Amino acid sequence: MSTITVTVNGVVYREEIEPRLLLVDFLRDNLCLKGAHIGCEDGVCGACTVIVAGRAAKSCMMFAVQADGVEILTVEGLAQGARLHPIQEAFTEQHGLQCGFCTPAMVLSTYQLLARNPDPTAEQIRRGISGNICRCTGYTNIVKAVAAAAVKLRGAKASDAS
Amino acid sequence: MAEQSTAGWVGTNYRRKQDPRFLTGRGRYTDDIDLPGMLYGAILRSPHAHARIKSVNVEAAEKLPGVIAVLTGERAAQMCEPLPAVIALPGMRLNKSHAIAADKVRWVGEAVAAVAAQSRYIAEDALELIEVEYESLPAIVTIEQALAPDAAHLYEEWGTNVAMEHAFRTGDVDQALHEADLVVDESVAHHRYTGAPLEGRAVLADYDRITGELTAYISTQAPHQCRTLLAQILRIPEQKIRVIAPAIGGGFGNKLQVYDEVTPCLLSMATGRPVKWAESRSENLLAGVHSRDYVCGLKIGFRKDGTILGVKAKLVGNVGCDGTNRAAGIGALAVAAAYIPGPYKITNYAVEVTGVVSNKAPYGAYRGYGKDVANFPMERVLDIAARKLGISPREIRERNFIQPDEFPYQQCAGPVYDSGDYPACLRRALQMIDYDRVREEQARLRAAGRYIGVGFAAMLEPSGGAVPNCIFNGYEAATVRVTPQGGVTLLTGIQDIGQGVETTLAQIVADELSISPEDIKVIFGDTAMVPYGLGSWSSRGAAYGASCALMATRKVKDKILKIGGYLLKTRAEELELKGGKVASRDNPSRALSIAEIAKQLYLFPGPYLTLPEGLEPNLEATAYWTSPVVRWAPDEQGRLSIYTTHPSATFAALVEVDVATGHVKLLRFVIAHDAGTLINPMVVDGQIHGGVVQGISGALWEELKYDEAGNLLNPTFQDYLVPVAADLPDIEVAHLVSPSPFTPVGAKGMGEGGAIGSPAAVVNAVEDALAPFGVTIRGMPLTPERVLSLIREAASAPGARAAG
Repeated sequence: MSTITVTVNGVVYREEIEPRLLLVDFLRDNLCLKGAHIGCEDGVCGACTVIVAGRAAKSCMMFAVQADGVEILTVEGLAQGARLHPIQEAFTEQHGLQCGFCTPAMVLSTYQLLARNPDPTAEQIRRGISGNICRCTGYTNIVKAVAAAAVKLRGAKASDAS
Repeated sequence: MAEQSTAGWVGTNYRRKQDPRFLTGRGRYTDDIDLPGMLYGAILRSPHAHARIKSVNVEAAEKLPGVIAVLTGERAAQMCEPLPAVIALPGMRLNKSHAIAADKVRWVGEAVAAVAAQSRYIAEDALELIEVEYESLPAIVTIEQALAPDAAHLYEEWGTNVAMEHAFRTGDVDQALHEADLVVDESVAHHRYTGAPLEGRAVLADYDRITGELTAYISTQAPHQCRTLLAQILRIPEQKIRVIAPAIGGGFGNKLQVYDEVTPCLLSMATGRPVKWAESRSENLLAGVHSRDYVCGLKIGFRKDGTILGVKAKLVGNVGCDGTNRAAGIGALAVAAAYIPGPYKITNYAVEVTGVVSNKAPYGAYRGYGKDVANFPMERVLDIAARKLGISPREIRERNFIQPDEFPYQQCAGPVYDSGDYPACLRRALQMIDYDRVREEQARLRAAGRYIGVGFAAMLEPSGGAVPNCIFNGYEAATVRVTPQGGVTLLTGIQDIGQGVETTLAQIVADELSISPEDIKVIFGDTAMVPYGLGSWSSRGAAYGASCALMATRKVKDKILKIGGYLLKTRAEELELKGGKVASRDNPSRALSIAEIAKQLYLFPGPYLTLPEGLEPNLEATAYWTSPVVRWAPDEQGRLSIYTTHPSATFAALVEVDVATGHVKLLRFVIAHDAGTLINPMVVDGQIHGGVVQGISGALWEELKYDEAGNLLNPTFQDYLVPVAADLPDIEVAHLVSPSPFTPVGAKGMGEGGAIGSPAAVVNAVEDALAPFGVTIRGMPLTPERVLSLIREAASAPGARAAG
């Protein structure tokens, strides 16, 4: 067994775990954060995406022990109480989700994409979310949602600055 | 036929009620639910396609610390019954199979043992310690192998590998073909692929040994049928089983079965503890249901002008190990037989259908359920015929379309089409893709050595199926309840699987009661709460789900008006329900809100002072809806009618083919679609986008590939290629609206159509792009290898045309 200390959504956890425990299972089973989903366990579908040390990571491809001392953001850390994050708002406004299984990860990949490129083209959006598989939407409305989220976030930033 | 409801919320892009849950990670899928004392299940699967089980040794697995129970097929067979047939139509052979195989395995992936342990990690470790001795048998993989005279038989007691035979004939096809100016005789194949929902199958079973009650959380599209089947299989009285279908991470038809779903229940019964099983992606692809996988020969006689005189079809489907018991997939072949005539006027028609079993995964439902099987061969062969006749793909379709003034239309094979304007859909799609400009561009680019192509497919999307002698039957139930506070709950047998009924059904109820969808809670997916209903499949939510919700709401509205009238001392006929209030038409100030009526009826002063005689003290009603056009008794020609609505569309694809690499790039994809009345246009668009992309993906990338020993070669997302955003353009949708006269809302459904017509549109576009090479495409997926070999074969064919 190994002991790790991780900060998830601003809360510090100290847990004793098996070295072979995947990060996604640690988040889901040890911390009861069920927003990271398991869709393939091969690092392809991206449903388990979380933000690890500021970068989107597929948490089925990491051991929990690799996250020792690291800060993690999961989808549970985005909304402020009942108020959705602008990316989440954009997804519901543009109907960018159906069954919702890929959605938390898609939202977090969008979070990273827009942090790096606040004004992406449609093609950059398509490339930016290509680590995440969605079987329901055909991506058309997800691309719209990401573009709408970019507008919202740029607006929020501009009003912060003024 | 039925009175159409008035619009208000219906027709608006009402934002989905369920979204905030999913967006914040609070969706609560089956795998997200934990129970005290819960164990984790894992299933050992056969590495052989066809083999006898000689022995199973579980000793080492049982000794592994943390393992609580190990089940073999033999032990499981003592605890439960074989899997009952879920579809049993004349001409079908049923089989005797178990959730866990005891004597013989019939596909790579069939369950042979199962473990319950303290963690999933330990359960999977234990699987590796189970020793199974097999005696291997010859693997039957292809249709030819299955039908060979000396073939081994999957089910020895049948004496054949033929699981289904069906034939139908109307008019005089032979005479029609004899009189034709041109007879096209082609055979096309459609490979095996499937829905691969992002959430695989999952079950959390909780059996109480003291009470004998089972609660099972199941990722399913049809919770009530799960309850009925589990009761039969597990020998538990049905009233002691509660099936809860929480959030469902995609279904697409792939979650309408009960076979591996039995195993976690058995493990829970064996241990007396809750057992969770959430399958891996490899299990989903190896052992979940598959679809397509058929060869269809079409012999069509044409007049010079393109008029179809007669159609002779021969369809052979490879249904894998099972299409009747584990899942109802085999019925898709019968549906195809009824719908090969599609949107065209055809009077002389003959069809023969054969379903054969093989050592591949079970055959289930997947977006299309045979309507796709009917569509691809016909739309493919029409393009081939148009070329031979020297007319355009547009002209050949326009020549044969059923016209908008001919509805309701009795199609030759049995179905009655409700409404539509097929020529208008085609015109709209041509306009959207800018057909004339594309043709000019094509000529210009060809001169520069680049190859773009445009392809069409007309499509019919029979929706709301009602299959006789099958668990996928033809009714649906809804209960509407007004709370003492005046809010409303709708309990529906329809399951939200991502298609959004939690919101769209609320829009229907809201309109009828003149309240907001905000005030309505839609409850589904719990057999202990909702009336017996049949779930979500066959795009039936719009026809069945919406209709019974509307009927139940109308009953409640009637009660509200009667009780309101009693309290207002006004006859109900002089009242109306408007803005959530019962008010006198003449004097609107004489009014009572639904909340006031509910409070008075249920609580203060209570029923003895509130109720007119003959009414029960509730604001509640249940309604069942059955279709006015379903006909199960065969007519004089032996025909049935099982689908209520017939949405329609024309698809158009624009592609560029790189003839050096064989790569197909999809440039644009448009669809002009007619789903009748749209309940929520945003949701409708989303359904169409998703279906289209699954069809495109089937045409270009997805294929479940088996080798000659029956091994699935690509059971992971690393090599079973589902598309990502960068592979695709935006899907462009336009709507035509021909309300269905057969449903009270006028809605038709639209869950599957996208996946039905898109393969033909893509393939037709690729063939159009490669026209200078003289390529004819008879199979998919159009991988670079296949495209290059098509070009090479065409070049080496006698009389090959030079490209340019």
